[in-house]
Amino acid sequence: MDAKAMIDSLSDQFKGGIYDTNVESNIRITAKVKPENIKDVCRYLKDKLSFGHLCCEFGVDYPDRNEIEVIYVIGSYEHPVVLTLKAILPRNNPEIESVVPVYWNANWYERETYELFGVKYLNHPDLRPLVLPQEMLGEWPLRKDYKGFPNKTAKNLV
Amino acid sequence: MDNTVGPSEMIIHLGPQHPMMPGPFRLNVKLRGETVVDSEVEMGWIHKGIEKILENKTYLQGITIVDRICYLAALTNEEAYVGCVEKLAGIEVPERAQYIRVIMEELFRIQSHLLGMGEYASFVGFVSMFMYTIKEREDVMTLIDSVTGARITHSFLRFGGVRDDLPEGFKDDVKRVFTNLRKAIDSYEELFSTDSIYKARTVGIGVLTPEVAKDIGVSGPPLRATGVPFDIRKDEPYLVYEDLDFKVCTQTAGDVFARVQVRLDEMRESMYIIEQCLDQIPQGPLFPEDTPYGRRTPVMRVPEGEVFHRVEDPRGEMGFYMVSDGSDKPYRVKIRGPVYPTLQALPPLLKGVPLADIVAIAGSMDTCTSEVDR
Amino acid sequence: MAEVEAVATNDKEEMPEEIPGVITTSSSAIADFLKKTKIQDVINWGRKNSLWFTVNAMGCCGVELLSTGMAHYDTDRFGIIPRNSPRHADVLIISGYVTKKYYHSLKRIWDQMPAPKWVIAFGDCAISGGPFYESYSTVQNIDEIFPVDIYVPGCPPRCEALIQAFVELQNKIVAKKDKGTDY
Repeated sequence: MDAKAMIDSLSDQFKGGIYDTNVESNIRITAKVKPENIKDVCRYLKDKLSFGHLCCEFGVDYPDRNEIEVIYVIGSYEHPVVLTLKAILPRNNPEIESVVPVYWNANWYERETYELFGVKYLNHPDLRPLVLPQEMLGEWPLRKDYKGFPNKTAKNLV
Repeated sequence: MDNTVGPSEMIIHLGPQHPMMPGPFRLNVKLRGETVVDSEVEMGWIHKGIEKILENKTYLQGITIVDRICYLAALTNEEAYVGCVEKLAGIEVPERAQYIRVIMEELFRIQSHLLGMGEYASFVGFVSMFMYTIKEREDVMTLIDSVTGARITHSFLRFGGVRDDLPEGFKDDVKRVFTNLRKAIDSYEELFSTDSIYKARTVGIGVLTPEVAKDIGVSGPPLRATGVPFDIRKDEPYLVYEDLDFKVCTQTAGDVFARVQVRLDEMRESMYIIEQCLDQIPQGPLFPEDTPYGRRTPVMRVPEGEVFHRVEDPRGEMGFYMVSDGSDKPYRVKIRGPVYPTLQALPPLLKGVPLADIVAIAGSMDTCTSEVDR
Repeated sequence: MAEVEAVATNDKEEMPEEIPGVITTSSSAIADFLKKTKIQDVINWGRKNSLWFTVNAMGCCGVELLSTGMAHYDTDRFGIIPRNSPRHADVLIISGYVTKKYYHSLKRIWDQMPAPKWVIAFGDCAISGGPFYESYSTVQNIDEIFPVDIYVPGCPPRCEALIQAFVELQNKIVAKKDKGTDY
């Protein structure tokens, strides 16, 4: 099955749930997904299209559009195609279903996106800060309007 | 992990500063007697916010920062970053520069495996092994030093090429070092495969099955030790890897012993790749001709777009996702490190093993905390 | 995870006031007296020749730290031996950026080390923040928190630089100009 067939199969399965599909090359495809469908889409990808390897999952902040994109980069151990799935969430209350039941290693990616962007994952088994201390929760440092960067207190600079 | 302890149970914190640790992370293990019941990894002790810093640096300045993501794989990090920009801007790298990149990245793979293996050997009780591997590693470091002028962090790759050419006499130096290194690797292998104490500590310990390994998303030597021939250099060739002859080293056992064996084989394979490159390398420019790209590209605007580029790190799949908005700084860079899922996979692997095996299992994963935390 | 509460042992009240034949003191009067005499030179000679350091690899510099203690550079010949436990060590090498999360642990490692003890700031990150000086996650100006004796610039500095740092530290100890606490 080549890249085009995969994306067609996916958009046939989820009519309305998958939109803006694009075949960039024969190893890269992109699609946008409605946030409420994300878990079913991932389940289908893993079971039927052998996309078994979640490369990464992260957020991108777009303050102008008042949106946060959550991007899932999903590869495979069987074929070289890499799929980029995007879910678009509102910036003031970003919430999306967790994909940990499908991709086990999404656990840390989601914890990190939570503490850096404030994306709330529903039904996540253990949604705690991962890399930052507890008291920094709520600052969302990777959002574009974060005030604490750059930190100008260093003294011994040359 | 549940923090309540039952009768004859206790919780031990390993780290953040612990001899087992290649960098600071904390492993909380709950023990019943000497057996691990449950465990939990705490991360972020050296989280430095590289993704945020990269958003505020120009593309050229970014090369210096990505060097420091993982100090044992600086050149492959650069390759992933530079590859992203080259894909977005459509830059063709001249063939000579591609060959130099392959040579340097494979040399880096060798030194990383030597250090990782030495560290791991010292965890299971072979401290003298660490001395041996570091001695060989210094020779490889001298080779790298002679090209890039630095030992750990290089800023060697540039968009469209490399900063410097190979020095005169490099081929002879490589030949001399590799003669010694081949002997050394053979002796390591002999030591590992004949020592009964070592085998008792490693064979059948920390077994990953291919299904579990795929499910938890590991890549690199821990995955290849289970028999899955997943290697970005073969599956999604970048640079000149398509023209080179090499095989993907796999083992089937999936235990601690197999993971170390994969690294030993990979070092031999890397040496073979470098020798091929040195024989085949063509003469030519280091940067694409008739373009502004060179050693110094002061202001560079990259066309709008998004790209995911991945390369084979010494530890597995290293990927960069870059979002460009057309300005001179990247809008967002996501770093997908190979150790991130590997370290995450420690708790299920450690379930039910004795306390003494924790170091063997964690060490054989060859973790690099700096890259997990970023 | 719950942190272990510090429990004060050997309380002043519990200790017997006077032990027959033994003079006990809680002040540093003896140390202060010794400092004025020639015997301090002998003590310092001993101290400078066994500077054991902690191996806490915190960043890129940590790799150079490991290599320095190993076969090729072999600091054992100067009496400089890598130790994994802070309780065995005399020199704390801050080998990287100190993050907000790690800062408390590092402070604790420092407190666990027995005096006399010294600090080497190894690499740009420990001196000024290095490439990460603007970051939201790091603690700035480490030398205001730890009494740093030697600064080793470089990103990362080479192994030879660390050896030179130790030589400088030895010179400082001999000259009694170091900040080693509690002589």
